[in-house]
Amino acid sequence: MDWLESGNMAVKTLTSNKLRTGLTMLGMIIGNASVIAMIGIGQGAQRLASEQFESLGPNVLFVTPGSQGARQRTTFLPRNLVWDDAKAIAAQVPSVASVAPQRQSQLSITYGGKNRTTLVMGTAPEYLVVRDFDVAKGRFINNVDLERNTRVAILGSEVAEQFFEGKDPIGSKIRIRNISFEVVGVLQPKGSFLGNNQDDAVYIPLTTSATSLTGRTSPFGLDLTFISISAINEASIPAAEFQITNLLRRRHKIINEDDFTVQTQKDILRIVGTITGGLTALLAAIAAVSLLVGGIGIMNIMLVSVSERTQEIGLRKAIGASEQDILMQFMIEAVMLSAAGGIVGTGVGIGGILLVAAFSPLQAVVSPLAITLAVTVSGTIGLVFGVFPARQAARLDPIVALRSA
Amino acid sequence: MSTIVQLQSITKVYGIGDIIVNALSGVDLTVNAGEYCSIMGTSGSGKSTMMNIIGCLDRPTAGRYYLDGIEVDTLADNELARIRNQKLGFVFQQFHLLSQLTAWENVMLPMIYAGVPVQERRDRAREALVRVGLEQRLQNKPTQLSGGQQQRVAIARAIVNRPVVLLADEPTGALDSTTTEEILDIFGELNASGMTVVMVTHEADVARRTHRIIWFKDGKVLESNLSPKDVALVSAG
Repeated sequence: MDWLESGNMAVKTLTSNKLRTGLTMLGMIIGNASVIAMIGIGQGAQRLASEQFESLGPNVLFVTPGSQGARQRTTFLPRNLVWDDAKAIAAQVPSVASVAPQRQSQLSITYGGKNRTTLVMGTAPEYLVVRDFDVAKGRFINNVDLERNTRVAILGSEVAEQFFEGKDPIGSKIRIRNISFEVVGVLQPKGSFLGNNQDDAVYIPLTTSATSLTGRTSPFGLDLTFISISAINEASIPAAEFQITNLLRRRHKIINEDDFTVQTQKDILRIVGTITGGLTALLAAIAAVSLLVGGIGIMNIMLVSVSERTQEIGLRKAIGASEQDILMQFMIEAVMLSAAGGIVGTGVGIGGILLVAAFSPLQAVVSPLAITLAVTVSGTIGLVFGVFPARQAARLDPIVALRSA
Repeated sequence: MSTIVQLQSITKVYGIGDIIVNALSGVDLTVNAGEYCSIMGTSGSGKSTMMNIIGCLDRPTAGRYYLDGIEVDTLADNELARIRNQKLGFVFQQFHLLSQLTAWENVMLPMIYAGVPVQERRDRAREALVRVGLEQRLQNKPTQLSGGQQQRVAIARAIVNRPVVLLADEPTGALDSTTTEEILDIFGELNASGMTVVMVTHEADVARRTHRIIWFKDGKVLESNLSPKDVALVSAG
């Protein structure tokens, strides 16, 4: 008996009990759909995170105070990263294009009767270039503001919308920590970054931030929360990282462990990649359990089927079916069940991915690898879980099988 | 006249723990081509065991069995399956048709295992069904057929691979008397056209339609060549 005949026969058997076939397949469908959907959603999240980091700006590096180790140990970061560091980097590192010192805190802002706590960022004109922001209306911070500690504020689009509801905010006065600032500009919307709304922020000159608002200065100078730096091009990023590190070590007179951290976009991408990759693997592993359960369901039904069809097996053997014929027949039924469940499950899984993509910022990532994997795995599951029942069937004694009523 | 079934000192012993049952003890039996014979005997006389051995479903514990000139008692399981497929046709009391298949597909089944090409399979199955008078019922499933019609499908399935001997185990046991006559007519016609038929039955009326009665008792052949008119003797015990 050839494969075509066996397949034909299996189709006839499986379609003669549609409810049972459907329910058995359901296990495989759910298993496959969840594996494919989970991998797809995980990869979508991975891609989303990558794109968000790329949207930070081209060729960006970040310098933050504290060593990698210190960042894990302490709640309060040392205030040893100062504006002079940023200035030195800009002046002395050839592979760097722009340097934006940043100093941020959460502060209460009022306008009219409204009150809102939001991110207040003290920075310099270079911020726009480094972080790839655009001004929608008015202007951004300029060098005159820095020199004169002017009390001017540039609003993120979200803040502008919340306080002014479509009216032109330019020239209005808002109060930050009860100090009056004149609004001179509004930024273009940028969207959220890893769940943080980047448009919910107010920008003021770095110097004003230090003198009028927080007043914190470290013994080394005007302390910064971090420095954003753009390298002149992608190829110069490693050089920039090395040169910045060297410069800061010299400036901070470091012999042992660095008291700052230089991170490139790639470093951060790698960390995010590790996290989301782990998450994807976890989701896939959980989903794989349901695939296994589906396989056990197939074995269960095949065993029931063998004992129900004892007479059929006896008859087939009496009219000339060999053990291999019977074995093949039951194996093919099991593989067909699981493969069909795999294919339908793949469809359902892809549907699930598209559905999630439609209602969330996640992108639909249909991975051919995941599909190949799921269908191969479910076929194999059919094979593995089909062997035992099929052997039971093949070994039946035809005399006993025929007599069982 | 060629010999189809030749049994020499066939013994079959079943051992269940310490209890040993001699189902057959030293049976010699010969069935020639074209014969129409019935095997009779009380239950436990060994006639069913005899049928299983002749049908290559079981192997003798000792003795030799030649079927159509081939010594089959030494063959492996797969070779026995092939012998059953090529040389033997089975008709059972319970018909044993596959319910998900049509009459036509049921009859095609043995040819699938024989590796007959599809078109030939369809033609031969139809031919066999015409022979048992079921040309109108090709596409019916067993549940849509009466008992007699189901048994006729089973007969068509048994003869479709042109076996050397047709084995029937109580073929009329599940049928009423009218249908029994119809089925026996078919066996008669098949035999008249040259088919060797061996039938196990405990009904004297059925045995009377055959040409030779083999009488089993206590695992032995008591009489191997009774004529139909002696059947009263057999039923009397």
